[in-house]
Amino acid sequence: MTAHAKLPNPPISDPVSDLPVVPYEKLEEIFEDIRKHPVYDHEIHGCLNCGICTATCPSAQYYDYSPREIVQLLWTENLEGIYDAMQEKIWACAQCYTCAARCPFENSPGGLVMIMREVAIKHELPSVKEVLRPFSRVLLKVVSTGNQLAPNMITKEAFPDWGPNVAKVDAPLMLLRKAIPMPTMHTLDTAWEVNLKTSVELYTIWEATGVLKQLESVDENLFDVVSDVMEEKRDEWEEWLEDNEDEDDD
Amino acid sequence: MTTTSNPVPGAKGAYNGFGADWTPTKLTDTEAKRATGWVEAKIDKRFLLTGRDRKDDVRDIMWQLEKDGEIKVHRVADHNEPVIAKTLYGWDKKIPTNNLWHHKSCGQCGNIPGYPSSVLWIQNQLGIQYLDETDQTSCTAWNYHGSGIGNVVSLAAVFLRNFHQAYVSAKAHGLPEGTYYPLVHCGTSFGNYKEIRGFLLHSAELRDEVKKILAKLGRLVDGKLLIPEEVVHYSEWLHVMRQRIADRQTIDVSNIRATVHPACHVYKMVPEDVIYDDTVLDGNRVAVTTGLLQTLGTQVIDYSTWYDCCGFGFRHIIGEREFTRSFAIDRKIKVAVEEARSDVMIGHDTGCITTLDKNQWIGKAVDKVYALPVMADCQFAALTMGAHPYKLAQLHWHASPFEGLLEKMGIDWEKAKAEFVSYLDEVKAGRIETLYDPKRAITSGPGYVKPPKALQGA
Repeated sequence: MTAHAKLPNPPISDPVSDLPVVPYEKLEEIFEDIRKHPVYDHEIHGCLNCGICTATCPSAQYYDYSPREIVQLLWTENLEGIYDAMQEKIWACAQCYTCAARCPFENSPGGLVMIMREVAIKHELPSVKEVLRPFSRVLLKVVSTGNQLAPNMITKEAFPDWGPNVAKVDAPLMLLRKAIPMPTMHTLDTAWEVNLKTSVELYTIWEATGVLKQLESVDENLFDVVSDVMEEKRDEWEEWLEDNEDEDDD
Repeated sequence: MTTTSNPVPGAKGAYNGFGADWTPTKLTDTEAKRATGWVEAKIDKRFLLTGRDRKDDVRDIMWQLEKDGEIKVHRVADHNEPVIAKTLYGWDKKIPTNNLWHHKSCGQCGNIPGYPSSVLWIQNQLGIQYLDETDQTSCTAWNYHGSGIGNVVSLAAVFLRNFHQAYVSAKAHGLPEGTYYPLVHCGTSFGNYKEIRGFLLHSAELRDEVKKILAKLGRLVDGKLLIPEEVVHYSEWLHVMRQRIADRQTIDVSNIRATVHPACHVYKMVPEDVIYDDTVLDGNRVAVTTGLLQTLGTQVIDYSTWYDCCGFGFRHIIGEREFTRSFAIDRKIKVAVEEARSDVMIGHDTGCITTLDKNQWIGKAVDKVYALPVMADCQFAALTMGAHPYKLAQLHWHASPFEGLLEKMGIDWEKAKAEFVSYLDEVKAGRIETLYDPKRAITSGPGYVKPPKALQGA
């Protein structure tokens, strides 16, 4: 079904908004990027509108969000609807994959949402920067260290709604960390001590897979910080290799 | 927004669905509940079985690719002492029980450290060999599912890099490659790795892309991608070891009413690779954790929202916590307390334990006052085996009140807490107790000490 094909060049716009009109070609380009995603065909196979996915979707209970709607928009190639859903709705999904486990067609609405999020980032849709702003601390941590969460990120100030008893023994954080019987976890800045070589290998993966480019499009400042950290660690690794080579020669 | 479709005025029929033609159903709350309630009421193994005829075992493709010389399979070998478990469709899954490489979880290690330390402590008690090392990253999938930063190729490269390290790690200690088999701690890592393994096995293009990256990292084996025969979650290890754990149980928990929160990414992602056991809830639900608790003699209490997620949401726990805490309280904690009269909620994943544990206090703001202890299955199992609640199970990192539960289990938590506080003085003085020799944790780079030549192996 290609309802949009009947109209040669319809712009997409909101009559009460000052936002610029989105050209039809842009909508097609976005949909093409979704459709040619390597796992798109794995995530969608058809849809009878049964709604089982939405009936068990946690986000559907709290947001204007329906996994059935996402599947239908894609299945019917509703380009305007897809673009609209990519502004906010796709960010409501909690990624639990209950929808995927339940779908009689073995669609994965949660997986489709991930494809749409990737494409939203690629096209730098206006909502992306806003939605991901609270995530920047996490992005910095995961891209620069490979750990998403560090002990010193969990503070009463950062999570006031977790209450006063986040730690039930009052002692300096580092002391409590050293009292964990796993030596790899005597750390504050990362969840475990990360081997220098590991970090350097991870940076190669980020570069080769376009992740740094994604990061740059979402937050240029963050990208600069991460680039500095990467350079520093790579220098450190190179130095260690040189020293180690000397030792081997000995 | 304007729309471009042009429905026929007054048209009725079967095609008034979503998309541009969508209109709200305008059902009342009661009507909506009636319309969807049956979906919630009928969730069990039978539902998942509907896909059986269309589902292939990706391991068949894996063996064929190895036969064709395209990949190498990291096998669960005899020295890993495998135990066979049955999965959803009755297929065999080999669970390694010895010589294990701990693939840690960033959320557990950063926030719930008693989670991994309990697993390692139980393994020490059972005489299991393992390696906990620094050469590993997280799976990076929490970030991917939360932000959309990342992609299938990056996730696959991270997956195979970590698993390659597991394969070669033993060489650093003078043991042969393949000695250790990876044991994945995090539920999201487990689900993500299984999904990515499937994508890799199905797509030659993806394999080519990832192979180029791993070649650059020196992470191929005989010039081939190394694919694990099984992706194994620690809860699966606990499941097959549950009788041996119960044999060492010192604390009676038959008076404890426990609710189980099964983690979405453990059993809803790649469901055909999840353990089901006819002796656990008649084989109708994922067997891990419930099977362990039953073997320990705990009363496992059913509750109507067992199937719901915890509300973690990956992005939501960080940027939209109103959703996370509302869902956690209304759909899980409240139901476990009021409907199941639960003494404790037991889980088996990082995000769930964090969400359910940390999001109770805020309920006071809206007169939803609940105090339900939340912990991982391994922490509970370690406690029943006599683990120290603070030094080993590290319960002081939990926000939910566990003290009453410990009293019900006959554990003197005040005494244990005093012991821990005095142990902190020892730690301050540098007298730190660890579960293994810290030197073993570094297998390369700064801090690594090579074993004597005689032990370096091939």
